[in-house]
Amino acid sequence: MDVSNIIESLKLIKPEIAVSASLILVLIFDLIFHKDKKLIPYVALLGLFATGYFVIHQFGTTGFGFATKSTFKAFGMVTVDSFGTFFKLLILISAVLVLFFSSFSDEIKKTTDRLGEYYVLIFGMILGMFLMVSATDFLLIYLSMELLSLSSYVLAGFTKLRDRNSEASLKYVIYGSVSSGLMLFGISIIYGLTGSTNLYVINSLIQSPQINVLALSFALILVMAGMGFKISAAPFHFWTPDVYEGSPITITAFLSVASKAAGFGLLIRFIKTGFAAMTLNNGYWMLNPIFDWKLIIVILAILTMTLGNFSALWQNNLKRMLAYSSIAHAGYLLLGLAVFSNQGIAAILIYFFVYMLMNLGAFLIVMLIADKLGSEDVDDYDGLGYTSPFLGISLAVFLVSLTGLPPTAGFIGKLYIFSALIDAKMFVVAVIGVLNSVVSLYYYIRVLKHMYLVKPKIQPVEIIPGLSQKFLVLLLVVPVLFFGIYFSPIVELAKNCVVLLGF
Amino acid sequence: MNNIPIEYYLILSALMFAVGITGVLIRRNAIVVFMSIELMLNSANLSLVTFSSYLGNSIGQIFVFFVMTVAAAEAAVGLAIIIAIFRNKLNVNIDEINIFKW
Amino acid sequence: MTLYDIIFYLFALITIGSAMLVVTTKNIVHAAFALLLTFFGVAGIYVLLAADFLAIVQIMVYVGGILVLIIFGVMLTNKITSVEIKTGTLNVLTASIVIGVFMGLVVSIMVWTGWYSMPAPIPATTAYGLGETLISDYALIFELLAMLLLIALVGAASIARREKESL
Repeated sequence: MDVSNIIESLKLIKPEIAVSASLILVLIFDLIFHKDKKLIPYVALLGLFATGYFVIHQFGTTGFGFATKSTFKAFGMVTVDSFGTFFKLLILISAVLVLFFSSFSDEIKKTTDRLGEYYVLIFGMILGMFLMVSATDFLLIYLSMELLSLSSYVLAGFTKLRDRNSEASLKYVIYGSVSSGLMLFGISIIYGLTGSTNLYVINSLIQSPQINVLALSFALILVMAGMGFKISAAPFHFWTPDVYEGSPITITAFLSVASKAAGFGLLIRFIKTGFAAMTLNNGYWMLNPIFDWKLIIVILAILTMTLGNFSALWQNNLKRMLAYSSIAHAGYLLLGLAVFSNQGIAAILIYFFVYMLMNLGAFLIVMLIADKLGSEDVDDYDGLGYTSPFLGISLAVFLVSLTGLPPTAGFIGKLYIFSALIDAKMFVVAVIGVLNSVVSLYYYIRVLKHMYLVKPKIQPVEIIPGLSQKFLVLLLVVPVLFFGIYFSPIVELAKNCVVLLGF
Repeated sequence: MNNIPIEYYLILSALMFAVGITGVLIRRNAIVVFMSIELMLNSANLSLVTFSSYLGNSIGQIFVFFVMTVAAAEAAVGLAIIIAIFRNKLNVNIDEINIFKW
Repeated sequence: MTLYDIIFYLFALITIGSAMLVVTTKNIVHAAFALLLTFFGVAGIYVLLAADFLAIVQIMVYVGGILVLIIFGVMLTNKITSVEIKTGTLNVLTASIVIGVFMGLVVSIMVWTGWYSMPAPIPATTAYGLGETLISDYALIFELLAMLLLIALVGAASIARREKESL
């Protein structure tokens, strides 16, 4: 690859360059103004907005970057298309929201002298996620996943004043390293079978009959371990509850939305680029028959949502309950993937957009309450609905939306997922999904019961959020309600964004 | 010239990988678990280099170069976390790290 | 049996034997030294596979970097030599069944798959070719690696630093 080719490719990764530049800028800023850390959040926010400008500019752009000599001319290791750009936008919006959360969080305020590192690592996570959703080469996939992992290991144990945080991050590191080791071994087998790490090349090579099916399937299962870890799909979900409970709540929120989005972006692109022979006119993908992706994904989806929902039933800690609920949501999202059609992908994009709003909202309320109450236990929420009506009603909206009841946006997300399933004639799977939603109703409503119906033993604390906090909550509540009624904008956006480069 | 069949190298790599997994499953000491993870990475590296050498292309070797760097970074972060935990435990005098259910 | 074969078996034996020692020995310092031997054994195999540059990097990064880090970790936490992270391990029977099945699967895949292998010409030295590829074809990955190391540096320093407010 010559220099002009590299320069041409650089134009495709402007958002990533902006993220890297902001990362270094924050780091330098932190070094120069180490006495006064007040300005750092603003610098970080500026960096995010600059990145956002490039991301929005990228909508509609398609192309391959960084093609190597050994691959076909056109296919590179970075693929830019609207699908990836949608996920980048999603990651960016949640990053901006998490930045605001951090400025309110008491946990983060206690660590002011390390605030610079906090933002640097968040930018590290964003860089990793951006590259994950556009990676079409195993080298880039592995490296961007590690970039995301390394930053999140540290952030999970960032506020180590309470010692449970460090333990969360130790568990995270060990599970993460093991799963990336498994994935690496799988990649090495695929490389041995095909002689390439580029997904496009692999796609064209595995259609030949000489490929050993057993070895390929084994390798793919190992690779799935790495990706399943990132989206916390069962049986690779063990880390999720502990890490979510132990991390600072802002990081939990970020992990549960952005990191999961990046994992899904990667997984969908991996299957589409690596294994789809062609896309039929009605939007369904024709997958290579060499590996039964449909079976694997359906099993994973059912396992994930059932395990997530049933484990959530017994949780008293709200953070832990939301962790299990996010596992269950990963299951619903996998259902959308199991259809293997453009319609299913559109449903996933819609669901993710809605999931971002409602999940971040729920975490925000839990954080605001925990800052005052000092507890995330559901028993301490008794009677809170009356003393703090604003937070109570907002939390109720988010939880109803997470259950998937109308008139909230969560209903729209579930509706599109299930209608995609029914369109593909996967009725049994759809029924299991609906039954799972019914189970989830129990534990979401339990929180509301504690807030409104249980008589408190002691007089509950009155929590009055500040003006800016109220504004932030409204910023999330209003769209959840609004998109529940008038949802055509997101549906249109999602349908325009299912442009996935591939075969 | 090299006349050892490719399978010999791969079996060596597979055995090393299994040993690494064994360590992760049966050992309880965090540092030993880290060592076992390094074994797993080394075995993946070994098979990458083997394939690279027998396929006659250099992607595998480049991959190994990157994996080594990542492994170093991962070890640094992991050990920093272990040391941080150790210090916390020392301060509060708890012998066991088990706040969560495993 | 040629000299080449003998060297291969020797290194393979060193590698796998010391790897087993890492996993089984009770003494954590012995485990660290066994790991040293494993890394050397793998470096030797790399030389046999005509990957001279990687063999050197293996010794420099793994032995010179990672192993030193691990030994530091052992020394700094030696007062409770066992940083226990699991309350219970798998019992021996379950673990050996899982591992046995897994090992059988991996080994049989390695043996029975008809790997494509052609007698590639061995270049005199790999460093030149690798270096050229690194800064041309894989320039993006190379730069990304720099970011990753920066992140690791910031992260490790941030987490291992003694906290003012906690003491």
